[in-house]
Amino acid sequence: MKKFLRALGSIRLALVGMVLLGVGAALSYDNPAGTPVWVLVVPLALLAINLFCAIATNPRINRRPGLLVFHLGLFAIIVLAGIGRLTHLDAQLEITEGSAFSPGELTEVKKGPFHGEGLSKVAFIQGNYTVEYNAGLVRGLTHSQVLIPDGRGGVMSRVVGDDRPLVLEGYRFYTTYNKGFAPVLTWTPDQGESMTGTIHMPSYPLFDYKQDSTWTPPGGKPLRFWLRLDTGLRQDAAWLLDGKKASGVLVVNAGERRVELLPGQSVRLEGGSLRYERLTSWMGYKVFYDPTLRWLFIAAVVSIMGLGAHFWRKFGVRMQRTHESSVTDTPVASSGRMP
Amino acid sequence: MNTIGDIIGRATELPWLWAGLAAYGLATIVAIAGVMRMPHRAVGAMAAYDSYAASEKGRAWHGHEKLVLTLVVSGVALITIALAERWVRIGHGPFVNLFELLMSQLFSLGLIFAIAYWRVPAMRASAVVALPLIWVLGIWVLTLQPVDTPLPPTYHNDWLWAHVGLGKIFLSLCLVGTGLAGVILLRHSERFAPWFRHVPANEVLDGLAWRFMLLAFIFHSLMLVAGAVWAQDAWGRYWSWDALETSSFLNWLLLGMGLHARFTYRVPLRAGAVLIIAVFVFAFFTYFGTPFYSEAAHKGVI
Repeated sequence: MKKFLRALGSIRLALVGMVLLGVGAALSYDNPAGTPVWVLVVPLALLAINLFCAIATNPRINRRPGLLVFHLGLFAIIVLAGIGRLTHLDAQLEITEGSAFSPGELTEVKKGPFHGEGLSKVAFIQGNYTVEYNAGLVRGLTHSQVLIPDGRGGVMSRVVGDDRPLVLEGYRFYTTYNKGFAPVLTWTPDQGESMTGTIHMPSYPLFDYKQDSTWTPPGGKPLRFWLRLDTGLRQDAAWLLDGKKASGVLVVNAGERRVELLPGQSVRLEGGSLRYERLTSWMGYKVFYDPTLRWLFIAAVVSIMGLGAHFWRKFGVRMQRTHESSVTDTPVASSGRMP
Repeated sequence: MNTIGDIIGRATELPWLWAGLAAYGLATIVAIAGVMRMPHRAVGAMAAYDSYAASEKGRAWHGHEKLVLTLVVSGVALITIALAERWVRIGHGPFVNLFELLMSQLFSLGLIFAIAYWRVPAMRASAVVALPLIWVLGIWVLTLQPVDTPLPPTYHNDWLWAHVGLGKIFLSLCLVGTGLAGVILLRHSERFAPWFRHVPANEVLDGLAWRFMLLAFIFHSLMLVAGAVWAQDAWGRYWSWDALETSSFLNWLLLGMGLHARFTYRVPLRAGAVLIIAVFVFAFFTYFGTPFYSEAAHKGVI
């Protein structure tokens, strides 16, 4: 049994595992979603077994505290990364200013089979946002205001953006370049109750030239919208994108008919009437959840500290001792091994 | 519309950079001339680096070596001024375009090489290999325009500093190891062998080179961790197999395999030297090659 464990924990197998992992990494380059998961899972599993057996049987590892900590750390990283993939969530979110977060609005959702239900506990309301632009429309800092429950029945304001995510219940919400404007519309059908909602226009200013969208009201015919915006956009100097300072004329195309609406104006269409209430904005977030993040960081740092301690113990102390004793030239011991 | 003249006219850091490169160039010439004129006496083989380092021979300065160190330190000081000048002028550190990355790399490679040169006498002859390698970057930076760059929003993060700094230490330690590996290989050439008769035996250089590579491995690991933390903050993921991540991870694996092989098996000295150089070349292409085959070095970098 011990012989078998030694074979599983051999350096040779470690080298094979590393080569296979290298091949898997090269195959995953730039296309992790399109690469079969086993190209990474198989070598990582092999390396995890190899590490476990090496730690258990190899005295060159388990009798050297630094190396032991380093290899235990590597083992922990592989296990934690695996747990992370089984419980993670990756998704996109477009949320309108003034509206509350709802898990049902997530799109492009990818999650592990053991992902929990924590998302239902997440609550926040999207506020206004601003984005700084340098000359040439080079994006600068994003400041997105969110309102979150303070636990005493009220809400507190927080500003997030770029590398400062909103973190709630372990879910991390990152602002993205994807954001834009949204006209608030009320549709009052000839029969039935009126409904109010927003239409998210394409990302701005990326698609400044293409602020259009379509919507078919219940009981009505398809409508085509075009938003003519005035945001003060300029390319030759610094500019601040601020939804509060923007205005827009909504052009409604219903078949051959074309109508321009200002906020507060309505138009009578087939099947009901449409009112352009006001212009608001939407922000796109990337949503990320991985409960192992903190532990991965700790495992990685402890692991490297172990290797550092091993280096210091192996070379630093010996070098000091050698200097102190002023050893002179000694005959050569021709060896390829580390002195 | 900015003309090349406008761009260069604004770049007040250039004279300092050129002066720094000139200092590195002079250091290279003095280092090569120094080993060529070195008395052809063998230093005697040593069992280990520690024995050599503690000996009188190991601690002695050879004629030209203080001048080489002075010139490299001068180069580092001048490039520091160039970096500071640019930093003040454009308002952020050298993190964005290739010109800035090369300039900061010239600084860090020079600085850490100078520290190693000062503290580790056995590696001083390796300057004839390492300094020309630094000059590859020096020549490259001279061909680039010092275009002003805005700092991307995700670069306002302290982990970026840690990530970049640790990466620079890693590459610099690889450079020192590569210099030593280069000496081992050059010694096998009849033409160059006489240059290195005053240098400790290959076994000593080999042991020393792998120490630097182990230290490089530690800093590479720290760089990956700091980079993952930064990537998590900046782009909402700690790893996504983009060009730089994949390349640096492969580099980490290659170095890890090299260390395992070196610690465990009797790797021939020349093979070990080739492996060290391969790690450096891989690292070099990771740092400076990815922009040429990837649209954005880090996915979602801006």
